[in-house]
Amino acid sequence: MKIKSRSGVMMMSMFVIIAVSVLFVAIPEGINAQQEENVFVTHSGAVVKTTGEVLDPLYTSATVEFDPMEYLRDFNYGRISQLDDNTTLREFTIIANDDEIMEISPGIFYNVWTFNGTVPGPTIRVTEGDIVRVKFINNGEKEHTIHFHGIHPAGMDGVFEPVGGNGGQFIYEFEAGPVGVHPYHCHVMPLEEHIVHGLYGVFIVDPKEKRPAADEMVMVLNGLDTDFDTENNFYAANTIPFYYQHHPIQINTDELIRVYVVNMVEFDPINNFHLHGNLYKYYPTGTDIVPSFYTDMITLSQTERGIMEFEYQYPGKYLFHAHKVEFSEKGWVGIFLVNENKKSIESEEYGS
Amino acid sequence: MEVSNKSSKGKLIASGAIPFVFLIILIAYIFGPGSELLDLGVPLPDISMEKVDFLNSEIQVTVRNTGPISVEIAMADINDRIQPAAVEPDRYLERYETALVRIPFEWNEAEPYRIGITIEDGTRFEKEIEAAAPALEPSLELFGFFAIIGTYVGIIPVMIGLLWLPFIRRISKQKYHFFLALTAGLLLFLGIDSVEEALEVSDESLAGSFNGVLLVATVLILSFLGLYYTGEKLVSRAKSSRITKPVAIALMISIGIGLHNFGEGLAIGAAVGLGSIAFSTFLIIGFALHNTTEGIAIASPLSREKKVIGKLIAMGLIAGAPAIFGAWIGGFVYSPFTSVIFLSIGAGAIFQVIITILKWIREEGDKNLSSAAVASGFAIGMIIMYLTSILV
Repeated sequence: MKIKSRSGVMMMSMFVIIAVSVLFVAIPEGINAQQEENVFVTHSGAVVKTTGEVLDPLYTSATVEFDPMEYLRDFNYGRISQLDDNTTLREFTIIANDDEIMEISPGIFYNVWTFNGTVPGPTIRVTEGDIVRVKFINNGEKEHTIHFHGIHPAGMDGVFEPVGGNGGQFIYEFEAGPVGVHPYHCHVMPLEEHIVHGLYGVFIVDPKEKRPAADEMVMVLNGLDTDFDTENNFYAANTIPFYYQHHPIQINTDELIRVYVVNMVEFDPINNFHLHGNLYKYYPTGTDIVPSFYTDMITLSQTERGIMEFEYQYPGKYLFHAHKVEFSEKGWVGIFLVNENKKSIESEEYGS
Repeated sequence: MEVSNKSSKGKLIASGAIPFVFLIILIAYIFGPGSELLDLGVPLPDISMEKVDFLNSEIQVTVRNTGPISVEIAMADINDRIQPAAVEPDRYLERYETALVRIPFEWNEAEPYRIGITIEDGTRFEKEIEAAAPALEPSLELFGFFAIIGTYVGIIPVMIGLLWLPFIRRISKQKYHFFLALTAGLLLFLGIDSVEEALEVSDESLAGSFNGVLLVATVLILSFLGLYYTGEKLVSRAKSSRITKPVAIALMISIGIGLHNFGEGLAIGAAVGLGSIAFSTFLIIGFALHNTTEGIAIASPLSREKKVIGKLIAMGLIAGAPAIFGAWIGGFVYSPFTSVIFLSIGAGAIFQVIITILKWIREEGDKNLSSAAVASGFAIGMIIMYLTSILV
């Protein structure tokens, strides 16, 4: 009896320790009830089931706020009129804003600064020698400008004439030139901030002697620093990461493809463009009509740009992406889906 | 008389309740009409990745919202490369809520990985894993393996330490006090060790919002007070009952050491679970040597008792066996929070035991804690522990 009560105390303390231990073994993070399962595909093709939600930068066209597929082949030729000396006047209106929140990747919201509501802004397309007149309205909170790359008078450079927010206006007017593909962007300090938030776009000057007809498209290579640590969280062709991977760009065999490429990535010194299963003729800055390279890989520094031309011989899916793989694994990757060309379909008319 | 008594009672209740009423009004006002006045500053979201498990072709991350506002998990990446992933049960995390992010990934053993989670406002959080190691799948074999490790580092060394009992028994009172003080020194070291470990775990894996240092302090003091109270009860009851005071003290010591060894077991189990390659036979030997001293701590107060074999075995088990349970829990269901809690409880228990021992030496001896025997015992206890700890 004596021993029993003593060991009783010990047994009790042992029991408490065991009970606590068992409790922690038995109840890990709560019990998951069987729910309906979602499925997703990994980068390596494995299919994974989950009872929860899928985190995948996979956009459907229904949810996308900015449609990269629409932007890809959307050229703005302006309101055209003839001046007395028979030169063509092309008038554009560009409105800046800096308060829009956009879902730039599924579930991730970022304050974009926009020209005409999108990043990149509208692609402005003119012919060499045209008079370009851009009415700029700044509806943002901050000062903004438009600085065109190209040849123009100092007063039209969009640097020393900041346009005040809340309705400030300015008219940029100059003769289009030189031939090529150029960026335009806001040039207000702090410049990096104004660029990385999205105030940029593409300005194409066509030669008077037109380039051959082709399926033409614009790709702005850009990055998004969503947590402001001066490193890009996302990279893309035309803003939305992985978009053209999940929504391949449809093209045809034996049809000339012309891509106007502009690198607007900040923070990282270089970007590049690699095409699968093919090589392209490359015209740096698009200022010449004779290609400088025949390659499948070009390196682009900040605002470096050019024109690529290629044709696919074989149908199928071909990747295009940054061969700086970090960029491609953060969104700068896409697919050309090459379809068999029905010879009856004529390629699109150039210009209009 | 009765009336005035009643009214004074009413006054008492009222005077106690009135501040509460005002406090409730204040809170209601701040949440209600006054909330706009206080709407200053931008609350920043925060999440913690508490646990990362490397499974077959998959990395699993336990994410807790430890910020002031609710968040949505939007994206996962490995080494800053975006990966398709899943979040269970869902992406919405209220404060302190957790979710499991499953990232399919062909990882390589022993390579370092940075796990990134991006939330809806584009903020990316990162956790670095030094070396990937497969998560332990509970199996009977592993269960047994942990039991053996627990026995090696917990039960056996304590039992070996207890074998010094006959030696301590034969020595003079002065030397006996030396050994009691030595025990206190050993325990003080263990207590500090536990606190350090608890702070380290909370620093590495617990979010700032848990107030790691204060959590450790609070749990430690609560544990100390709880055991101090029950210990005193036990000792005072010992005077009238069959348990003698030395037995009561030895029991308190073994419970305190048991709690400490539980924390130690957690650390060992977690180390195996996290694949710390340094964990080896050498580490087990270190722990074993270190823990042998704990046996002395239990044996010392019992040395003036008779018929102690049974008690010794029981106390050895109380002190040593928790290492097994700790290893199981640490290996299979490790959570930094429970780890911190148990280490703090263990520290509180140990400090309580130290006080008990010192009080006892003071009563036993000549109301003197500054004798050469006590001072040197204490000092040597600390030194022994330090030297054996180098092995761990």
